[in-house]
Amino acid sequence: MHVRTRTWFAFVVVAALLLLLGSRFGVFEPLESAAGAVASPVESALGAATRPVADFVNNLTDVNRLTDENRDLQEENERVIAELSRLQDVDRELQQLEELVAVRGNREADQFLRANVFAREPNNQQDLVAIDRGKADGVRDDMLVLTRQGSLVGSVSRALEHTAWVRLITDPASAVSALIQESRVQGVVVGAADGTLTMEFVEETADVKEGDLVTTSGVGGRHPPGELIGQVVEAERAAQELFQRVRVQPLADLATLESVLVLTSFLPLDPGSP
Amino acid sequence: MNIAAGILAVIVAALLQLAVMPAFSIFGVHPNLIIVLLIAWMATRGPQEALVMIPVAGFAVGLLDSQPLGLAMLALAPLTLMTNVRELRLVESDLLPAVVLTVVATLVYETVILLSLAVRGERPEWVESILDVLVPAAIVNALVLLPVFGLIRLGSLDLRRQRAF
Repeated sequence: MHVRTRTWFAFVVVAALLLLLGSRFGVFEPLESAAGAVASPVESALGAATRPVADFVNNLTDVNRLTDENRDLQEENERVIAELSRLQDVDRELQQLEELVAVRGNREADQFLRANVFAREPNNQQDLVAIDRGKADGVRDDMLVLTRQGSLVGSVSRALEHTAWVRLITDPASAVSALIQESRVQGVVVGAADGTLTMEFVEETADVKEGDLVTTSGVGGRHPPGELIGQVVEAERAAQELFQRVRVQPLADLATLESVLVLTSFLPLDPGSP
Repeated sequence: MNIAAGILAVIVAALLQLAVMPAFSIFGVHPNLIIVLLIAWMATRGPQEALVMIPVAGFAVGLLDSQPLGLAMLALAPLTLMTNVRELRLVESDLLPAVVLTVVATLVYETVILLSLAVRGERPEWVESILDVLVPAAIVNALVLLPVFGLIRLGSLDLRRQRAF
């Protein structure tokens, strides 16, 4: 191997390490914010222009019509399920008023900020999207992000000046305290590298059925209670295990997000606070 | 084409990588246009231009992605060590070594990302990541290399003519 190549490799590695060190102390945040602000309209335009091509590649038969139809049906389904969920909560309100006050919280006072998704994290290990709203618009780290229909998308992992990165619930590092709406069984919904959701720590004896709705439980204070996450698609019970393995399908189609709502009125509790 | 064209191509590829590539899901993964472009460029046009393009690509992706600035450059740095493979002339074809290098570069790139997640305390699932992400990503990038290689080779006819004489 050439000395020149080895030297250049060492130079690139040292430069990368220096950049990493600088970014750890936030030195490059203004530069990254500026780059994000400049690139976001270009990325939005590129994304919009190439979406039909992507749809074509992803659905090689009867391309756009099926995709649009599917997206519309999915949104409609999400709306109906959200409405059903709301009605179920209202019903429970009649029966268990005291409990429900704590569960529903003060929804009317919630404030939302609409944002467009313009990019996604390019590596295959993480599931993050970039939105065109940032600190200047009131977006802060850890704020919740929902679909327009009201189901949980994720939370803000990094807010820059005019843009922000949102960690989706399907990201392997995502963990959301959750409960099954029908049986009130609690657990934790985690993402995985293959983009699926699993509800963990669900007791082996708990009553879990396919189609049950999963919402946030509010435990831990990181998420408000009652936000819709998804539906149970499979519950596996193994004889020797303490917990069931519950697979959850997100209500939102997180692969094709175009716009989202940032819940600006709920600030998660600091994990270190009492 | 020259180094300026290479740098422009890298910047456009970085924008496409974030805005467009995630919409393409093949075997559950997104192609990495940056790796494919760099390997195809070095395979068709030699190491000189690619050596400059590699850190530029790392910097451009780092500015735009959610990772700390410098991580993409670190993950792409091993590509500099691969620039000499073409000169070894192990086989007559330019394409075959490029396919192999794409697979290796993808595995290295994704492994560096996984390691960085582990360092930052995210506790990645190694086995699942290797089976569900690394291997499919290497295959997908090798497939995407074919048209990109062809395009760059087509655009480099002048260079090949110069070398022939």
